[in-house]
Amino acid sequence: MAPVLEVKDIHKSFGGIVAVDGVSFSVDEGEIVGIIGPNGSGKSTLFNCVLGQLQPTSGEIRVDGKVTTGMRPCDLNALGVSRTFQLLQVFPELTVKDNLIAAGQEHRGSMLSRLFGPPDAGLGAAADRMIEFFRLSHVAGERAGRLSYGQQKLLDAAMAFMGGPRLVLLDEPAGGVNLTMLADLRERLRAINREMRATFVVIEHNMDFVMSLCTRVLVLAEGRIIAEGDPASIRNNPKVVEAYLGP
Amino acid sequence: MERARLVPLAIAAAVVLALALGPQFLRPSSLYLVSLWAVTAIAAMGLNLTLGYAGQISMAQGAFVGIGAYATAILMQQGVPFPAAFVAAGAICFGVGWLLGYPALRVQHHYLAFVTLAFTTLVYLLLRNEQWLTNGVYGISGIQRPVLFGVSFAKSADYYYFCLGMLAIFLGAMWWMIRSPWGRAFMVLRENPVRAMSLGVDTRRYTLLAFAIGSSIGGFAGGLFAPLVQFLEPGSFSLGYSLSLLLMVIVGGSGYLLGPLVGAMVAVLLPEFLRFTQGYYLLLYAAAVMILMTFCPQGLIGMAERIAAALRRRRTTATTGTH
Amino acid sequence: MSGFIQLVVSGLATGAIYALVAVGFALLWQTSQTINFAQGEFVMVPAFFVLVAMKVWGLGYLPSIAIGLVVSALLLGAAFKGLVVEPMLRHGVLPLVISTVALAILMKESVKDFYSSQAQQFPPIVEGTDIEFLGAVVSTQSIAIFFVALGAVALLNWFLSSTLTGRAMQATAQNRAVARILGVDVDRMILYTFLINGLLTALASFLISPIYLAKFTNGETLGLAAFVAAIVGGFNHVRGAVLGGLILGVLDNLAASYVSAQYRAAVPLIVLVVVILFRPQGLLGRVEERSV
Repeated sequence: MAPVLEVKDIHKSFGGIVAVDGVSFSVDEGEIVGIIGPNGSGKSTLFNCVLGQLQPTSGEIRVDGKVTTGMRPCDLNALGVSRTFQLLQVFPELTVKDNLIAAGQEHRGSMLSRLFGPPDAGLGAAADRMIEFFRLSHVAGERAGRLSYGQQKLLDAAMAFMGGPRLVLLDEPAGGVNLTMLADLRERLRAINREMRATFVVIEHNMDFVMSLCTRVLVLAEGRIIAEGDPASIRNNPKVVEAYLGP
Repeated sequence: MERARLVPLAIAAAVVLALALGPQFLRPSSLYLVSLWAVTAIAAMGLNLTLGYAGQISMAQGAFVGIGAYATAILMQQGVPFPAAFVAAGAICFGVGWLLGYPALRVQHHYLAFVTLAFTTLVYLLLRNEQWLTNGVYGISGIQRPVLFGVSFAKSADYYYFCLGMLAIFLGAMWWMIRSPWGRAFMVLRENPVRAMSLGVDTRRYTLLAFAIGSSIGGFAGGLFAPLVQFLEPGSFSLGYSLSLLLMVIVGGSGYLLGPLVGAMVAVLLPEFLRFTQGYYLLLYAAAVMILMTFCPQGLIGMAERIAAALRRRRTTATTGTH
Repeated sequence: MSGFIQLVVSGLATGAIYALVAVGFALLWQTSQTINFAQGEFVMVPAFFVLVAMKVWGLGYLPSIAIGLVVSALLLGAAFKGLVVEPMLRHGVLPLVISTVALAILMKESVKDFYSSQAQQFPPIVEGTDIEFLGAVVSTQSIAIFFVALGAVALLNWFLSSTLTGRAMQATAQNRAVARILGVDVDRMILYTFLINGLLTALASFLISPIYLAKFTNGETLGLAAFVAAIVGGFNHVRGAVLGGLILGVLDNLAASYVSAQYRAAVPLIVLVVVILFRPQGLLGRVEERSV
């Protein structure tokens, strides 16, 4: 069986500056892979290439064996690739429930059925389950813009799962979240990984969060992968320490 | 809570009743004016879809009303029956609106405003200069009111009901679309296009659709406008008209279903009741718009909502206070 | 050929006036993200300030011009900033656009209702005589307009690049937060920008009204010309706006005689649309950095 995500020799440069310099890796079904690295190591650029926000200069990306290099984000999403954002990205004027329905509706039926069919695209019950799962029931009818930061962060994560994704890319999910919320988020993500068989790739600065959530970790420095392995081996890898602390 | 629902319902019922009984007590000139209100409200409703729900600024809605009106008038003069001409007006504007949506894929905000503004002026120049088609500055006169299934709508009162009926139909269709997944897709396009795209919303398709549908509704309004005024001239569809439709949408409350109806009321009906302001109405209107924008850019419906919310809060604190 | 030169020279004269208006428009955009849809009316109205001073109060030309400049700076600069733009900034771009559209109507209607709906004669800065130039007849008025307008822009350019205040204004335009950290009085610099815009549009008004007469509807075409000039040249550029204005003036004149009088107005609009779609940063502008 083909891996869920295959990244083959991706390069990306801006003008003369090389941001990603030949990165290859693959992710199998059900894995939670963390990508770490110091600032400017190319993590975000790599992410944006995989997600279709940026065109890689060269290289190939496959999802479930299908070449997706250069696809628009909405077409990638149709193939089951979903994401969360580093900064909050909810729809502030819509209610929590409408945010979730909007997040899943394009996966249901055709253009015509979405105009003439039921207003919730048949997702009302699924949205309610997701609201309960992320413990947002008490604010389900509120406009998303009025939620607290932590609640919006949970909503943002929940939205990524409404389309029943194969692969979810999480961009600094722990950023700006307090400790209690963090434990909660980690537990929710693990549960989804188990129950929905969803595969995750996570970029994160918070080492503890990565080490406790991920099954495998890649370390990026200056646009290349310098180490790969399970959390324990990464922790003790001298190359990683050097990349973070300097020689 | 019950009262909060009853008040708007009672107002709506009173308005519908008053409109239904209109011909019993209104003079013909007033009937004309209410019909014009209905037609203008439909045009503004189209712009409300493009701007209010999908967030794409357009200064071209007046041009689409013009295209629709001229298309209807010219086709009817060629002997095409009204229903076919009317549908054609909407279809032509759908196509042209779709094309005008393409710039919106490349540029946003003020650039988009300028592109649509340029489009409006170009349409005006075409209407004025292509005499073989539009009869230029002399205009098209003698446009007939429609006859449908053997029923003539020639009399003011009959065409009045026809326009109001159309308004009801468009209002219902808009209500349906806005609460459907399409409406949600338009709104997420307005709120956050990057996020929408990552959730599978084809922002490109919905941007073009927002322009096309909004413009076609403008075209339909034009199709009703031509038989109403029975005389078309290019000057009616200059940039000023597009800007005035834009003001109506914002003044009424953009992104609210009933906003365009309220906005069109302020622009079309209110001057009639404020006759004592004489020539100064437009001046006062402009000043009022500026004040409204400063204190409540959500428009009149937004303001009403805010006041209602404040009243509700006061009532709840009053009741909890007595405990 | 002589006809061509004549068209180019008079086109450069109107173009220089457009440049004045476009520079002010671009400055407002840079420092306060204000798209002023009433910019055309800002050019229409100052002529009437002068007419009031001359006809109602019976003052001479120069004192009236001085009064016109001061009143324009106060009303179109300071009052516009304080009463219209400032209270609106927290609401975002669209309400401000709507508000300036309404302001344009307000100014137009005020002139119509309180002064006159008829076109008014306006005294020229110099008495026009025609002189020969390369076999073409050129009016001294065109030449005077050209040099006064470009002189004003050159003066502004010198002010912006060579004085401390001017540089502080540029710093404010480029990055308000950084300017503030560097100790620039940002609010004052923004006020200066609005005052300068008021003065530029007033000057443009005094230069163009003798040619086209002063009328309440003048703002519509003038405003459009300013938008086109500013965008064609590049929104974030004084030099760009000047270039845009000159190009537009000449193009406008040439289109009138070589394309068709009927579609004269279409030419600048088509240029506008083409530039926006294919070179939105303008001819001289840089691409504004965008973060994903």
